[in-house]
Amino acid sequence: MPQYMLLLYSDPAAWMKLSPEEMQKATEKYFAWTKKPFTRDSKRLADEPGRVIRSVGGKPKATDGPYSETKEILGGYYTIEAASYDEAVKLSLEHPQLEYGTVEVRQVYGS
Amino acid sequence: MTAAAETGSLLEHLFRHQAGRMVAHLTRLFGPANIDLAEETVQEAMLRALQSWPYEGVPENAGAWLFRVAHNAAIDAVRRNRLLSDKSDAIVRELSRSASAPEDSPDLEEQLRDDELRMIFMCCHPDISQDSSVALSLKTVSGFSVREIARAFLADDAAVAQRLVRAKSQIRERRLTLDMPRGAELKSRLASVLDVIYFMFNEGYTAHEGQDLIRRDLCFEALRLGCLVAASSIAIPSVHALVALMAFQVSRLAARVDEAGDPVPFEFQDHGLWDQHLIGLGFHHFDRSMAGDEVSEYHVQAAIAATYARAPEWHAVDWPMILRLYDQFLAINPSPVVALNRAVVVSKVQGPEEALDVIAPLENNSKLRSYYLLPAVRGHLLLELGRHSEAAACFRAALVCPCSEPERRFLRRKLTDCERATILGQS
Repeated sequence: MPQYMLLLYSDPAAWMKLSPEEMQKATEKYFAWTKKPFTRDSKRLADEPGRVIRSVGGKPKATDGPYSETKEILGGYYTIEAASYDEAVKLSLEHPQLEYGTVEVRQVYGS
Repeated sequence: MTAAAETGSLLEHLFRHQAGRMVAHLTRLFGPANIDLAEETVQEAMLRALQSWPYEGVPENAGAWLFRVAHNAAIDAVRRNRLLSDKSDAIVRELSRSASAPEDSPDLEEQLRDDELRMIFMCCHPDISQDSSVALSLKTVSGFSVREIARAFLADDAAVAQRLVRAKSQIRERRLTLDMPRGAELKSRLASVLDVIYFMFNEGYTAHEGQDLIRRDLCFEALRLGCLVAASSIAIPSVHALVALMAFQVSRLAARVDEAGDPVPFEFQDHGLWDQHLIGLGFHHFDRSMAGDEVSEYHVQAAIAATYARAPEWHAVDWPMILRLYDQFLAINPSPVVALNRAVVVSKVQGPEEALDVIAPLENNSKLRSYYLLPAVRGHLLLELGRHSEAAACFRAALVCPCSEPERRFLRRKLTDCERATILGQS
């Protein structure tokens, strides 16, 4: 079955504002998604923005940014299985991430 | 994989309660002037759990995990923070010691409970205003956020944040400490703690607009804090009386509103919905409150609540006993609201006519002006006497006063009953 990546974007500063109770609720909801039968993989990325490596004058160079203006950063991903892209989007509508940020749904080729 | 890691099931309010005790613990280490740092450090630990548990599974002893991570974050914070420079070595030593203590070590457990108790006493210091005390206790000892406190108090976030800032600056300016008061001071400080806990409880228990779950949480949090004080060596009988009172009252929370969120009067409550465990807890503390000669306001109120709890059904309530207790209550606290409640009991023992005589002098009391329960009680008494058109006028007057929407619906139903009876010529 085709696989889709759900790229999770959110503002790290917003997480810090949640109450302990809200953090517990969020933990439980994300956990439940990790355990969904169609979930193949799930990982979280560190909140600290990483360095960007690009070729400058033919030589690879690591720089801090530039980052986009938006406060939201890529914070993690889920890989799920779905019959079609529409089906993947439909499943994503239930993702807890939507309470805290945005989800980008991308098909993984060759799966 | 362990069971917890497999199901992700967490103890209810684990984060909230763990946050509270860790903030209390770190505040003792950092000093009261650095509460903010303690709060941030604990918040970081909570965030770490949120970032890793959904993917790696929930650790078997989730509470201990949070505690350890908070300690490591605290060690980092102490090393980073120059404010603490002169005592940072000592703090890091103690942090390392408690972080390496075996999980669920009884010594550590006792230390944490002691830290919480000290924190409650500091938050409820009489130098801090009562509403700030409640906000600060909820924020630090109970792990509520500003938004949650605001929701519970029907206040806006900015007002609550302002109260917290004020309370914290009072702690700094007056150099309040986490030392436990002793001797004569202990008594007055303890009284102030009980007042704050009871204020918190009432805020959650009194029916306001809406039936937000956070208000129920507030009642249980007040009960938890009360139990914490009751379990300590400084507990005196009035502490047990307050805990008993709160336990009896929360035991009826589920029976108090129907599915539509409308209030269910005591006489129609389904006793099957009363929480027997909480009633048992109430009687346990009620028995302990009997030691000594002191009869506080909490004692009398707990005795009233216990009398209700003892009755197997509404018709079996010992009204004469409740009336005697209300006489005592009124002697200790001669407030018009207590007098109004007593009038309801008078109607049960002596009849509605006598009760009407009792509330007559309250009509001119300025404290009860625009208090909807005064005309509402009068309306009920008149309704019982079959004086429908007079009762209708009372319910109409009650509806003009501010009160919650479910109560308003209740009053409107009563008014309709009266009007229907009047039309049928029974008036």
